[in-house]
Amino acid sequence: MSALELKGVTAGYGHAAAVRDLDLAVSAGEVVALLGPNGAGKTTVLRTAVGLLAPSAGEVRAFGRPLPRKVEKNSREGVILVPDSRAIFHQLTVRENLSLARRHRARDLDAVLDRLPRLAPLVERRVGLLSGGEQQMLALAKALLARPRVLLVDELSLGLAPLAVQELLPIVRTLADESWVAVVLVEQHVDLALSVADRAVVLHHGRVALSGSAADLRADREAVRQAYFGGHAPEDALV
Amino acid sequence: MDQLVLFVTLGFGVGSVYAVIASSLVAVHAATGVLNFAQGSIALWGVWVAAELGTTGTLVLPLGSVALVDGPAPALLAVVVGVLSSAVVALLTHLLVMRPLRSAPVLSQVVASVGVMLLVVSLVPLRFDTTGAVASPILPSGTVELLGAQVAVADLIVLALALVMAAVLAAYFRFTRWGTATRASAEDETALRLTGWSPDRLAALVWFATGALTGLVAIVASPSIGLDPISYTFYVLPGLAAALVARLRSILLAAAAGLAIGVFQSLLLMMSTYDFWPIWAQAGFGDTLPFLLVMVALFVFGKAIPERGGVQSARMPPVRPPRTRPVLALVVVASTFAAVLLTEGGWRFGVVTSVIMMLIALSLVLLTGYLGQISLAAMAFAGTGGFLLSRVTTEWGVPFPLSLVIPALAATVLGVVVGIPALRIRGAHLAVVTLAGALAIQTFVFGNPAFTPFEGNQIQDPSLFGMSLAVRNGTVLTTTSFAVMVLVVVGLLTWATARLMRGRTGRAFLAIRSNERAAASVGIDVAGTKLLGFAFSAFLAGVGGCLIGYSRSQLSVESFTVFVGLTLLCTVYVAGITSLAGAVVAGLLAPLGVLATFLEGTLGVGHLYSLIAALALVITAVLNPVGITGSVRHASEHLIDRRNARATS
Amino acid sequence: MPPRDDTPPAPDPLLEIRGLTVRYGGVVANDDVDLTVGRGEVVGLIGPNGAGKTSLVDAVTGFTPSDGEVRLDGRRLDRLPPHRRRRAGLARTWQAGELFADLTVADNVAVATQRRGWRGFVADILGRSARTGPDASLEMLGLGDDVGRLPDQLSLGRQRLVGVARALAGDSRVVLLDEPAAGLDTDESEAFGQIVRVMATHGHGVLLIDHDMNLVLSVCDRVYVLDFGRVIACGTPDEIRSDAAVVAAYLGEEPVS
Repeated sequence: MSALELKGVTAGYGHAAAVRDLDLAVSAGEVVALLGPNGAGKTTVLRTAVGLLAPSAGEVRAFGRPLPRKVEKNSREGVILVPDSRAIFHQLTVRENLSLARRHRARDLDAVLDRLPRLAPLVERRVGLLSGGEQQMLALAKALLARPRVLLVDELSLGLAPLAVQELLPIVRTLADESWVAVVLVEQHVDLALSVADRAVVLHHGRVALSGSAADLRADREAVRQAYFGGHAPEDALV
Repeated sequence: MDQLVLFVTLGFGVGSVYAVIASSLVAVHAATGVLNFAQGSIALWGVWVAAELGTTGTLVLPLGSVALVDGPAPALLAVVVGVLSSAVVALLTHLLVMRPLRSAPVLSQVVASVGVMLLVVSLVPLRFDTTGAVASPILPSGTVELLGAQVAVADLIVLALALVMAAVLAAYFRFTRWGTATRASAEDETALRLTGWSPDRLAALVWFATGALTGLVAIVASPSIGLDPISYTFYVLPGLAAALVARLRSILLAAAAGLAIGVFQSLLLMMSTYDFWPIWAQAGFGDTLPFLLVMVALFVFGKAIPERGGVQSARMPPVRPPRTRPVLALVVVASTFAAVLLTEGGWRFGVVTSVIMMLIALSLVLLTGYLGQISLAAMAFAGTGGFLLSRVTTEWGVPFPLSLVIPALAATVLGVVVGIPALRIRGAHLAVVTLAGALAIQTFVFGNPAFTPFEGNQIQDPSLFGMSLAVRNGTVLTTTSFAVMVLVVVGLLTWATARLMRGRTGRAFLAIRSNERAAASVGIDVAGTKLLGFAFSAFLAGVGGCLIGYSRSQLSVESFTVFVGLTLLCTVYVAGITSLAGAVVAGLLAPLGVLATFLEGTLGVGHLYSLIAALALVITAVLNPVGITGSVRHASEHLIDRRNARATS
Repeated sequence: MPPRDDTPPAPDPLLEIRGLTVRYGGVVANDDVDLTVGRGEVVGLIGPNGAGKTSLVDAVTGFTPSDGEVRLDGRRLDRLPPHRRRRAGLARTWQAGELFADLTVADNVAVATQRRGWRGFVADILGRSARTGPDASLEMLGLGDDVGRLPDQLSLGRQRLVGVARALAGDSRVVLLDEPAAGLDTDESEAFGQIVRVMATHGHGVLLIDHDMNLVLSVCDRVYVLDFGRVIACGTPDEIRSDAAVVAAYLGEEPVS
């Protein structure tokens, strides 16, 4: 059974379908990178998967059951989205942000701070005053505290220096390996994404333009370039 | 010195109520993004429930009542039940009205909460014995000496209570997880949902708790403030002023500002007893204080006052610009004329009043429906017109047509002044400014004895080319010539307004209404166009006010109260605030118009009028934001579509 | 990073931007950007998400405070409010379309060209009807059949075109198109590219911001690339395709030095 499964999903805003007839299944412990140029529909996939957006056709299932209608219920059951806006609260302190996210005991907080030691000295600071990298770290910490079973991460590297990204991405990998979490990673930094993912899917105009194992895609860079800049990948590149 | 101390402490009672209302407004805004105009009414209901219990032992509900105890209930029971009633009213307001409207346009939210405010204030005189009940003292009645003054212990206790309440509320938001989550919801509701919290439940809790606190402070303070079927409702204005001074952020600051307003008003009262204090500033000056404060606060903080993010705002009800339909226009004018000829006495007066009210309704359609600027001051502009009409006809002897123009131009100037804040603020904040301005004008200008001659505001009857256009002639209550004059004036102005609506000005208005940024990006001067809208709207209302003045021969301040203004807003919204037809229907439904005459004269239930209006407003806001005329148009478009479909098949 | 001195200037500069800098709080969204658009020229502006493209458009059209110079045909615009810049001939579209929902397609465009303020007010009451024929820009974009419709009765693609028509109408001379092709499918996107070329042949200067690399690289005369708020490359589409810094910015590779 897949932890997260999208079957024939079409979704979008108003008249426009940003994603058309998409199939995607992610198992526990697997990291899937969702790639593609801007406007390809990656964010729409994540918003649909967490229930923020109802698909106009098709179905989303988590742990074999249809997705609950309420987002908050969904996230309490462990389907966690870290959106590109990061879902952190700038007026609150780091500690307050984390306290909202914890599902269980306050002790969890220490465990997460162990994993993200750079956050520890900042807990009493207001989030608005943190750097972009620190905010992203907080967003990830918030997601970890929520004890995710399906983790959807949108543009972890957005606006961050490459070094900061290299610090954050491995955490996601560890989460899949050690805690058996299903991870979907939307990323514009292709090489970094492929370095942590097991599998990758490249979207273009809302459809799958290319998909395959991360290793294969790393080997065939020309196919990725085509999918980005050329629009349509050659038929034989489709896996 | 001792007098100063005395008056400062005298302000504690009212100031404490302001303080808790202000704190509650900040809290509710944080939890839901709504500015709750009904917060004062929530207090009003609790105060009366407690007073009735304390007097007769009966628990009064909106429908029916329950005898809880024989004879007067013990003070503690009365307070507890009163507090619970306030809390329940607040919770119901949230669940039945504001929550369904959480993604509705700000206009719907503002009129809905104004509807709740009016609903309670119309219900109180119907449900409670407003002459018999007294607020029995709950607190010790003694005095203590403080800095040489004999100060009532009760006032000090109320003050302490209010401060504790504000502190508790602030602590909830500051230190608890739920309070933290509520603050987070103010920043981004979607992010909070993604974090696993339900913003709706957090909001319900805040509504219930602030309803209870507001009820409690008002009930405890009511023996020293006094019982009154209206005043608590308008305590929301100083509360709003204080909340805006605190930038809708700090509960404690809001409480302090509320208290300061109460104390300052009390000091103004003290000043007015001194000889040097000018006569004109003796009455109503305290009520201008919230207005001035709101203006200053909004001017200084401007955009720093948060508007809620994260919730997608729905569109305003759609507008279809009026088409040229001379036949329809002729039919309406002819049938109105026929209605004038066929009626007499009270009915004819009702018809003529409806025509005049239609003009004022039209000013609201133009400003609020077309330009999207929420104004609660239309009746104050009308009143300004009527008030000056009395001056220019009796003191300056200005003849008829000019006597309409000059006061209307003065109203226009006032409209521009009230419109200036609209260049920096919008939505609910603008509604607060206009409401505060309306109340200030009402009490400081209309209600000020210094501005009113001993014999009242007489108005010289109009005449044209030697022909009398007076409203009364012997026993005839409304003359045909007066009715024709009204019809001509209103007809001409309506014609001009319709041309504006379907012309360049209307297009620019609608562009600004739907998107100010985009309007600026196509070259529209947003600021100038807004002022134009305020100016013309106030002009229409000013003329309407003059016509009301002429129809009474003497200006009655009661025609122009804030209460009448808000009721008129109800009828316009119910009729359809986005169309010319809506203004016409609103005229029929308006206070003292045809419907009111029918309820009063034929059914004998005139006292239910404002209750019905408020109820209709709330229902319209929640269920049918396009109003009566909008649904008629939908229905007819639907019929035409079906007929066309049948014709083609 | 390639040197910026080799930036070829526009042949006949109409819009000139010099040293444009935008700060939000402590964040620098645009840093010392120089950019020109010539008469009859289509200029592309691309860059990864968050590179500062929209903030540049907002600053140039006056919707965001900024430092630096903006000139249109030599005339300084950078101290004017947005509506004055539009009247001077600098028009824009919006990412979300932002059409006026209550106005018909014809009126959405007419509101951009009509007499304004008090003169419009007086003309409304006393003068002739404001109903004139639909603006020529609507015909040019093939919207002639839609003039009586409301925006929400149109497909997204046609709504975008209405936004473009609104920006083209009247006396606009330079048009900034902010992601006009977002949400269009491949065919619509190609058709839109043709339209942009037609606009240039009518003498408009066009600045095209879009994610669709195909579209930008196929219709533009010159392309600027932004990353982290700065211009990292500028040149013809062919030069941009093979520019290492650009590929790095998009795919996240380390630039080949």
